Amino acid sequence: MRSSLRLELVAALAVGLLLAAVPMLIPGNITLLNLGILTFLYVAQGVAWNILGGFAGYVSFGYAAFFGLGAYTTALLWLAGWSPVLTYPIGGLVAAAFSLLVGAPTLRLVGPYFSIATIGVGEAMRILMLNLDKITGGASGLNLPTVVPSKTWFYFVALICAATSYAVAAWIRTSRFGLGLTALRLDLEAAESLGVRTTLFKNLAHIVSAALVGACGGVYATYLQYVHPDTVFSFTLSISLVLIALIGGLGTVWGPVLGAVVFFVVQDYLQTSYPTFHLLVYGLLLLVIILFEPGGMAGLAGRLVARRRGASAGPPAADPAPHAEHERAPMPRADAERPGTERTT
Amino acid sequence: MFTTQNLVSVAIAALLTAGLYAVMSYGLAIIYGVMKVINVSNAGFLMLGAFMTLMYFQWWHLDPVAGAVLNLLPFFGAGWLVYKLLVRRVVSARPIATLLLLFALWLVIQNVALAIWGSDDQSIITAYTYKSLIVGGFRLPLTRLIVFAVALLALSLLHFVLGHTYVGKALRATVQDPQAALLVGIDTERISALAFGLGTALSGFAGSLLTLLFSFTPDFGGPFQLKSFTIIVLGGLENFAGVTVGAAVLALTESFAVLFMRASLQNVIAYGLLVVALIVMPGGVAQLWARTRS
Amino acid sequence: MTTALTLDRITKRFGGLAALQEVTVQIASGDITGLIGPNGAGKTTLFSIIAGKTRPTVGRVLCFGHDVTGWSAHAVCRLGVCTTHQVVRPFGDLTVLENVRVGASFGASGRLGGRTAEEEAGEILTFVGLAHRRDSLASALTLAQRKRLEIARALATRPAVLLLDEVLAGLTPAEIQQAVELVRQIRARGITIVMIEHVMRAVMDLSDRVLVLNYGRLIADGSPAVVANSPQVIEAYLGEKISES
Repeated sequence: MRSSLRLELVAALAVGLLLAAVPMLIPGNITLLNLGILTFLYVAQGVAWNILGGFAGYVSFGYAAFFGLGAYTTALLWLAGWSPVLTYPIGGLVAAAFSLLVGAPTLRLVGPYFSIATIGVGEAMRILMLNLDKITGGASGLNLPTVVPSKTWFYFVALICAATSYAVAAWIRTSRFGLGLTALRLDLEAAESLGVRTTLFKNLAHIVSAALVGACGGVYATYLQYVHPDTVFSFTLSISLVLIALIGGLGTVWGPVLGAVVFFVVQDYLQTSYPTFHLLVYGLLLLVIILFEPGGMAGLAGRLVARRRGASAGPPAADPAPHAEHERAPMPRADAERPGTERTT
Repeated sequence: MFTTQNLVSVAIAALLTAGLYAVMSYGLAIIYGVMKVINVSNAGFLMLGAFMTLMYFQWWHLDPVAGAVLNLLPFFGAGWLVYKLLVRRVVSARPIATLLLLFALWLVIQNVALAIWGSDDQSIITAYTYKSLIVGGFRLPLTRLIVFAVALLALSLLHFVLGHTYVGKALRATVQDPQAALLVGIDTERISALAFGLGTALSGFAGSLLTLLFSFTPDFGGPFQLKSFTIIVLGGLENFAGVTVGAAVLALTESFAVLFMRASLQNVIAYGLLVVALIVMPGGVAQLWARTRS
Repeated sequence: MTTALTLDRITKRFGGLAALQEVTVQIASGDITGLIGPNGAGKTTLFSIIAGKTRPTVGRVLCFGHDVTGWSAHAVCRLGVCTTHQVVRPFGDLTVLENVRVGASFGASGRLGGRTAEEEAGEILTFVGLAHRRDSLASALTLAQRKRLEIARALATRPAVLLLDEVLAGLTPAEIQQAVELVRQIRARGITIVMIEHVMRAVMDLSDRVLVLNYGRLIADGSPAVVANSPQVIEAYLGEKISES
């Protein structure tokens, strides 16, 4: 296990360095830089989303709220004369603060109810922002300064975002914190009775991933030089993150990386002919994955590798599905007392 | 602004909407009740119901109300198939897997609709779309009255089926205690398929009625779907009678909120209510009531 | 002899139904205390109240002098009171070792890092006799092994008090013998044990003291011999001679 982990980190570092060298190796290719910037931002967000959605098992459909808050924080500070770089962490902080505000009550809900609540929160935020036209520009959005750093600069910033997300997720995966998240995902009550501070951990995971997504929102705003509530708070964006992580592989660190690359390439390829066609492709892919390969692409890859090694018990894929012990959630409250649980035989 | 006349007319409008809201949410409640599954694909079927009605209207000049009835059978079949082919395979796994599966299905339906019909706003204008009746000094749009009457009829019929037929009783028994239902010889597997069919049929039906009041695009199922959640959560999730209560509460809240804020913020009320209801009243309005009385 | 646990007039009502009524008892440190009673007597409810999973309607729980009433389960665990579950709940997707590592990393043992927690977990697996399955998935274990894993995980939290909820149920006589031996060894480590059990011979064998709950009330309290002959207890079990069941 440990040696394979080290191998994974070395590989990630190598890929990172290679990507960092691209602007030098192939200079002046703007298309490539643009492709890189957007892909890296998707990678950063998918990996970050997975910290709560994959590791802790709380599938949120509301991450656009964090992205949007980050984007608008950066936009407003930039308009007020700040240097963009300084605004990214602040956008992250604002997103993190908001995640604590909504997470503290909603993370008490059991799985699917949490997911539904996040749709409510995300959409409510979008509509609110559309109506706060004094601040957000409302339906006409905000135009941002036209003097911007070069594409190469954005390429590196986006790469740093992706690398940071990856590093944070990789660290969490191997840490005591990550073990606690896994435990609470598999069985909240058992984890709690073994001393895991489940409420604290869920919220921490939420905050960390929201901060990362918020910072990405800031980068996106400066890169496009324009923000609009319907784009940065869009439900489609929230869905994209869910799809990226699920199709890449929940609970693994590099699954969402793979998912994001495939997602963006498919989107980019189909964008001009049919703008939302990639969602159809992804919806179908998701159907197939949930029915046949709950571990996503990472799970599939793991299984193939295991088969080639002669089925030497590869690492288990973190799954959104099987195991009969998981009961169906009868009521939305996680901590609601269930009368009459005594079932002595 | 706040004359009695005004307030009464807002209340009447809200109640007329509530009928449609109840029909639209009933399917969700039935499926949730039987399987504890949150059927997000409902949004897709609502939208599909609307577009099929548009097709009937364009092909045969069929009235949306007739379209609603016509939708029942094919949508029942579609729901049955969705259960048999997809949901059945994952329903015993963790609940989030089912949610994601149905979500994926919604994405597929929505984007197929986009491919077929494009993203333009569609609407159905009938001979009575702009007519209204004056009753007791209140001007009531005819479409709203018709939708309300049809909804009421559908709800009564549904109530009869659930209350007085073998299938209806078996369904309610499964909602209350699946294990006990199985023990007394109810084929819960069939009941689940039936519930999915029935729920989807109701979505198709409600989708048709929606076309009388609103314009629509392939994206339009989402907001109504969220409202349906709000309604069944307010109603207490498994409580069929609660659906009507939830629908009334939501419609009234929305309508009166508009007196105090911009109309474009109306959906924020519904979504906010959803989140609050999920967190503070898992048993719905009825439970809150029971709590204050004991 | 110090007191590990004090239950002070614990009452729990679910709606109109009283699951526990005025249960007051002190558990001495180092003892094995058996908790018996017919189905629905309130035994597991009492455990969940001690473990912080359920709040009592009335009454207080004291652990080593701390009033822990209303604490959350993780806090109670970190104070040194750990519960096993009646229906075993291993983390099925984790290996046996990882399961135990969760206990070692988060329990009363405090913030053990990766290596130390893993070593600790390994030792405990040897202690409970599961070392040979350390790298298997927990979902692949037999019932007897799962029960051992449940105990191992709890032990890894370094509890001072261990609450065992029917760890013998469903085991074969040979497995019961081994499990009884394990409980003795755990006590030899200085851990206070309270166990809910239906396998009478084992409880009577192991316990220093036996508590009997019936309809939420404590109806007997004493040495196994005294309790077994108490007319009230015999009546509660409908005349069954409990020493032979």
